[in-house]
Amino acid sequence: MREAYIVESVRTPGCKNKRGKFKDTRPEDLLSFILKSCVEKAGINPAEIDDVMVGCAFPEAEQGINIGRIASKMAGFPDSVCGATVNRFCSSGIEAIALATLRVQAGWSDVAMGAGIESMTFVPMGGNKPRPHPEFSKEDPTAYISMGITAENVASRYNVTRQECDEFAAKSNEKAAIAQKNGWFTEIVPTPAVKFVPQADGTFKKETFIVSEDDGVRPGTTAEGIAKLSSPFKFGGVATAANSSQTTDGAAATLVASKEACERLGLKPVAKIIAYAVAGCKSDEMGVGPKYAIPKALKIAGLTIDQIDAFELNEAFATQAIHCVKELGIDINKVNLNGGAIALGHPLGCTGAKITATLLSVLKRTGGKYGIVSMCIGGGMGAAAIFEMV
Amino acid sequence: MSRKISKAAVIGSGIMGGGIAALLAGAGVKVLLLDIVPFNLTDEEKKDPAARNRIVEAGMQAALKSQPALFYTKKQAALVSTGNLEDDFDKLADCDWICEVVVENLKIKQDLFKRIDGIRKKGSIISSNTSGIPLYKISEGLSEDFKKHFLGTHFFNPVRWMHLLELIPGKETTQEVLDFMERFGEVNLGKGIVWAKDTPNFIGNRIGIQGIGKIMQAVATADGITVADVDALFGPAMGRPRTAIFGTSDLVGLDTMVHVAANSYDLCPDDEMKDTLVIPEFVKKLVADGNLGNKSKAGFYKKEKTPEGKRLKLMIDPKTGTYVEANKPSFPCLDAAKKAATPAEKMQAVVYGEDAGAKFAWECTANALIYCANRIPEISDTLVEIDNAMKWGYGWESGPFESWDFIGVKKSVEKMEKDGIAVPANVKAMLAGGNETFYKIEKGVQYYYDFASNSYQKVKLNKSALSLVACKADNKVVKTCPSVSLIDIGDGVFCVEFTTKMNALNREIIEFMGNVKDYVMANGAGLVIGNQAGGMPGAFSAGADLSYVLKLCKDKNYAEMDDFLKLAQYGLQDLRYSALPVVAAPYGMTLGGGCEVCLGAADKIVATGDTMMGLVEIGVGLLPAGGGCLNLWKKFLRALPAGVEKDTDLAKLFVPVFLNVAMAKYSMSGANAIENGHLSALVDRIILNRDLQIGEAKKEVLAMVDAGYAPPMKRPLTVMGEGGQGMINAEIYNMQCGGFVSEYDAFLAKRIAYVISGGQVKEGSEVVEEAILALEREAFIDFAKEEKTIARIESMLTTGKPLRN
Repeated sequence: MREAYIVESVRTPGCKNKRGKFKDTRPEDLLSFILKSCVEKAGINPAEIDDVMVGCAFPEAEQGINIGRIASKMAGFPDSVCGATVNRFCSSGIEAIALATLRVQAGWSDVAMGAGIESMTFVPMGGNKPRPHPEFSKEDPTAYISMGITAENVASRYNVTRQECDEFAAKSNEKAAIAQKNGWFTEIVPTPAVKFVPQADGTFKKETFIVSEDDGVRPGTTAEGIAKLSSPFKFGGVATAANSSQTTDGAAATLVASKEACERLGLKPVAKIIAYAVAGCKSDEMGVGPKYAIPKALKIAGLTIDQIDAFELNEAFATQAIHCVKELGIDINKVNLNGGAIALGHPLGCTGAKITATLLSVLKRTGGKYGIVSMCIGGGMGAAAIFEMV
Repeated sequence: MSRKISKAAVIGSGIMGGGIAALLAGAGVKVLLLDIVPFNLTDEEKKDPAARNRIVEAGMQAALKSQPALFYTKKQAALVSTGNLEDDFDKLADCDWICEVVVENLKIKQDLFKRIDGIRKKGSIISSNTSGIPLYKISEGLSEDFKKHFLGTHFFNPVRWMHLLELIPGKETTQEVLDFMERFGEVNLGKGIVWAKDTPNFIGNRIGIQGIGKIMQAVATADGITVADVDALFGPAMGRPRTAIFGTSDLVGLDTMVHVAANSYDLCPDDEMKDTLVIPEFVKKLVADGNLGNKSKAGFYKKEKTPEGKRLKLMIDPKTGTYVEANKPSFPCLDAAKKAATPAEKMQAVVYGEDAGAKFAWECTANALIYCANRIPEISDTLVEIDNAMKWGYGWESGPFESWDFIGVKKSVEKMEKDGIAVPANVKAMLAGGNETFYKIEKGVQYYYDFASNSYQKVKLNKSALSLVACKADNKVVKTCPSVSLIDIGDGVFCVEFTTKMNALNREIIEFMGNVKDYVMANGAGLVIGNQAGGMPGAFSAGADLSYVLKLCKDKNYAEMDDFLKLAQYGLQDLRYSALPVVAAPYGMTLGGGCEVCLGAADKIVATGDTMMGLVEIGVGLLPAGGGCLNLWKKFLRALPAGVEKDTDLAKLFVPVFLNVAMAKYSMSGANAIENGHLSALVDRIILNRDLQIGEAKKEVLAMVDAGYAPPMKRPLTVMGEGGQGMINAEIYNMQCGGFVSEYDAFLAKRIAYVISGGQVKEGSEVVEEAILALEREAFIDFAKEEKTIARIESMLTTGKPLRN
């Protein structure tokens, strides 16, 4: 197989759905902007790109009609650049990067992109028209289970306490606030957003403004302060709005090129994926997915967990993140150094692409060599990708 | 008729002001709610608009949070804008009616009205909600135009729920203004209008406080009669609210009650029963100790918990001024009243009994009746006004003179005289003229005895105020049985009146309804389904007769069950598709089968403001099977413009219909029933005055007749099919995992989803009505076979509360 290198990896800020700064900005605008930015930062003529794989968990309505192709066109890429939409729910973004990498490794593409998009404002979780199968929904309702219930199941089955969750959530916010203050989110490209501004005569006018920061971080969050919230998922449960990931709008993009293409085009390799694994688990405790996917990926790469310098472990829920860290014996000081989804948000299909960009900037800043991006996946799966800096 | 109230101002945002503002908003009027700028602002706060409006905002929030609710729906609060009396005073110039509800202080009111006189637009109406200060003093020295448009508008607390509005003309108020306010108060605001004179405490409080004062004094000296005894004697047995005397005082507040008594005492120097207004020592002590009633958690009663956690109800002992455990009242007269069938017999049992309780009740009642008779013409020209004030403002089922008729005027006067009680001359004159009742009904018209002319006069009613009692007295009943009657209400319109307890639907009613169509088709033009049973908010129909359903369950008589349901379903559907316009007139509790009657049979629903409407069958382990599932779905589906049905995601309609049934959702008002979808904003109507409801419903029938009524075309319904069932299966599983629903709830809910979605059929298919009706019946019978459903029904019948199992 050929060597496939990541040349550039960037993201938009993540903004709270419905209330955040991207609430009026179409997902195609976020995605096309970040694709274009990625290409410009890499310094490559877009005509060199063979294919754009875009992860999206709910590819319908504004995110439908193959947003991978639409957004490429909107980014000004020539007609020759292809596009596809990739869906594996919460790992769609990393799945897209892995697919782009595989195309390059196989020799089918010289340059490809892996990206992610999710506007949870425009397309809600579950989609606009959910229709569980009438018989299978009775036979195995866990196939359609709410994510919140799975978080509660992880807590009750593996003894994760409310106190631990709230402390974990407070820590996530604290780390994110510090990272923002120190300017550590170098992977973010300030992104144009729109808003509809009411005019004196009652009409509205569309105006553009720039968003440079994730808008969901709550500095000063304390475990005591969020202890009073009750669980919306389960009567007397532990998963709350404050210790679960935020629902978020955002986009991210990564450019992958073969060794030959890098040399021919003068591109500077940053990192490479050395393993990518997915692993299945029970649907009603989907949060445990990473504890199966990470060992599987490590085995492929021939590495041990202590050789990994940084983890971007998606905080879908504090309950599952805590359980996976404990179960795998991960050094907590290597996990989510810039904070996680509890503070920064989890834009479903974008998340894999988003935290890849964050992981690479963390590894650059800390001088680490190996890093892992991992997350749990609705329906009962985990995904893990191992990156090596070059 | 050209006068309009587009915008009103309410000045003073206390519990009364907030209540009046909420009521006006409910009537669709824009409201400006004003209050003072707080006195204690810092220099910085004085520049801050939020700080300056702090009092009015707090008042508005209290009105929004108030229980029982003051707003019909919180969305109507958008009609109320707030402000303060300094920055926003100029806005009063826009208002068509300015209603003052500030503190009861003459100087403050005079100063305020002087400012208002300077800014108000000419011709606008100004009123005071004072409950005691003479109006002529308030308007002294103001402009002529002001005085011409100034009157008293005395609402009762809580404003939405108390029917009474006392209107008090000033000396110079024009007839046009008085006529307008009577109509506006009655039709737009839904109130019962009582014309009062400008005398202290007007009518309701003048009569009410004397009765309370007399009883408080009597209990302080009576041997062996406790506070709890008094409330038992003067409760439902006498047609009064359960809280009776002392419970009501705790509710109102002892300070308020004492203030009203003092006002009567001070301002009515010639009142012959002035002595009854002197507050006894034990009550003075309660007030001095801050035991003001419910708001201070202690008054005449106090609730405590024993160290073992047992709830204990204490009452004040008037002799010692200490709290003692409340006794369980027991008197032979109350036992006799309980057994009596009619209100008249109940009252007679109490006042003519032989025991100590009965004697106490007689003494106080005789005193109160005499006091009322002596107040005419001092506080009102007719006895009707006094009766209405007590019914509408104090929640009595019958007014003093109606009650007097109940116990027999002649008999009671003889007893009074025997007891050495002076009987007023006007009552004696009535009896001497051979007239033995204060009221009589002739040919459907109610008359009252007019003391001034010594003759019977017609009781004045709004043209829409159609009384079923009067129709029945006029032999207009064309078909009847113990549970239901069909009444000719004139102009070819007939009214189906339920007459069971809580107007529950039993087999007799269902069978009767089946025959109504044929009769009216042959003899009339259209039909109203409505009744005028009492209560606040009362019950149009609280649902099916559960004891009958339980018997069928226990006998496993599923064939009769199916037959009963079919009869109900097809009785209603046949009415809907007959060539008769049908209008349903729900009010108060309109639950289960009561709701199904409205949804199923009616072309149009004329509901009152206080309509608690919903399909609540799941609470007793059942589902609507009188066509409720079918007709609620149909109501939602047919609300779509023709032609868009095929392209609409039906789940957006299916989910709320399912939730309405599976969560037993019911409205807290008519406006809320529109939000829930049981009423349609486009087709149905909400009126705030229940007294006018049957008359208005009849008008709607006649309007349809005049317009050339044709029944709706019956056509198949597009349904959600299996697509909806999968959605609900998945979501119910989540709720069950979360512990929000029981396993049995989940079982019921899934089957309900199956029925509403049309059974085993593809999403978007068309299904005939009969198919959904069959699914309803099958599910109902399957539920009736379940032990947990039987347990739920039994719990409802024995405890009145739903069982979650």
